[in-house]
Amino acid sequence: MVTLTYYPGCSLKTSSRFYEESFKAIFASLGIAYRELDDWSCCGASAAPTIDELLGHALAGRNLALAEREGDHFFAPCSACYNRSLITNARIREDKKLREKINAMLYPLQCTGSVEVKNIIEVLHDHAGIEMIAQRIAHDLSSIRVVPYYGCVLTRIMKMDAFDDKEDPTSMDSLIWSAGAELISWPYKMECCGASKTLTSKDMTFELSSRIMDMALSLGADAIVTPCPLCQLNLDLLPYLGREERNVPVLFLTELLELGLFGTLKGTGSHIIPVDEIVKKVKGK
Amino acid sequence: MDHLGFLHEMEKATGEKISACYQCYKCTTGCPVVADMDIYPHRIIRHIILGNKDRVLGSRTIWTCLQCTTCSVRCPNDIDVARIFSALRKMSVREGRAAERDTWRFDEIFLESVQRHGRLNELGAILRYKIDKKDLFSDTKMGMGMVKKGRIGLMPHNIRDRKGMEEIFRKAAETGKRGSGEKE
Repeated sequence: MVTLTYYPGCSLKTSSRFYEESFKAIFASLGIAYRELDDWSCCGASAAPTIDELLGHALAGRNLALAEREGDHFFAPCSACYNRSLITNARIREDKKLREKINAMLYPLQCTGSVEVKNIIEVLHDHAGIEMIAQRIAHDLSSIRVVPYYGCVLTRIMKMDAFDDKEDPTSMDSLIWSAGAELISWPYKMECCGASKTLTSKDMTFELSSRIMDMALSLGADAIVTPCPLCQLNLDLLPYLGREERNVPVLFLTELLELGLFGTLKGTGSHIIPVDEIVKKVKGK
Repeated sequence: MDHLGFLHEMEKATGEKISACYQCYKCTTGCPVVADMDIYPHRIIRHIILGNKDRVLGSRTIWTCLQCTTCSVRCPNDIDVARIFSALRKMSVREGRAAERDTWRFDEIFLESVQRHGRLNELGAILRYKIDKKDLFSDTKMGMGMVKKGRIGLMPHNIRDRKGMEEIFRKAAETGKRGSGEKE
């Protein structure tokens, strides 16, 4: 069996710890093996390339170099970590000059770009599959209406092929469908939530995330489902950002599968927008 | 028209073929934050071609950008508009023209935290930014709520190989590309 090298990134150990708990629970049930990368560091996020692109590649490259000693499969559940790692990995593999520069910075670590970088959606498709997921689902989610929210950085990857369509992705749709939830088609799959402006320009995140929430409500959704920690956080923060209207809960993709597999959620207490109503809608099969 | 070599400088720095732009407006119509921009994205590209360096470097637009890359994906000429904005940010800071300092400052604080610990210390970085802004108390309710829900990392986590991390930052500083518009 393949053992994935799991790269948590800062979010899955801090603001989105319940995302980690959730994917671990469903991986155990689906038989997906992983090992956390030892002594991993920050991928540089959006801050490093903004200030210095070379530094950005070196920070992402450090983890890739560590991972190359562990195997071929690099699993990054955070969309931003995935995006940074995927791009740096490809650049290091294809651009000899850049590779030499990065390796001089990483020395004695060396990175060749040999691993395959995967996100949570790819891992669920490639290491479990929708057929197996559908077979393992033990609870009825058919009365839960969800909108799939992919966020910006998962598929909008420039100068290289993305794992899914860059503007109209469907890979998460089929996972939601395999879990048995009702999937609503909507135009905001890729709308920006405000990203890292939440601290520096709160009003902007409020406005953008509110629009997404309004659209979900107008379509009668019970939940927004996303694989991205920053999207989840920004939307979940809406009550604190000053929104007075109703909100629907924002679940991680793995949490929806958690509901289908176990009928419960480990991270109930971490959600700012309460998830009790959703959990109540789960029926036994 | 103030800088004849600006287009060339920008194309060299970003590797993007900016001169291919034929002003179709797709970048502008797709932008989620265009309402908060002083110069529309397609106009920024046009200003670069026209050599209007000062207009571009002093614009708020390059700081309003969220780097969501909707514009880049939709450009029929395959120009990575978001990346050009990112390069413009670096140049505007280097030349002391930045119309907004907060975004850059937070990114610096973010990186200082990574340099020190190897990983982001969420609470530490947020507090430093707030102290910097002399605005410690505006979001206390949100902060307390997040702490209660366990949504902020409170304690720094140091990686073991902090020497290696320090080396990466030292060598990056040596190349002198920090704050330059140039790609790696």
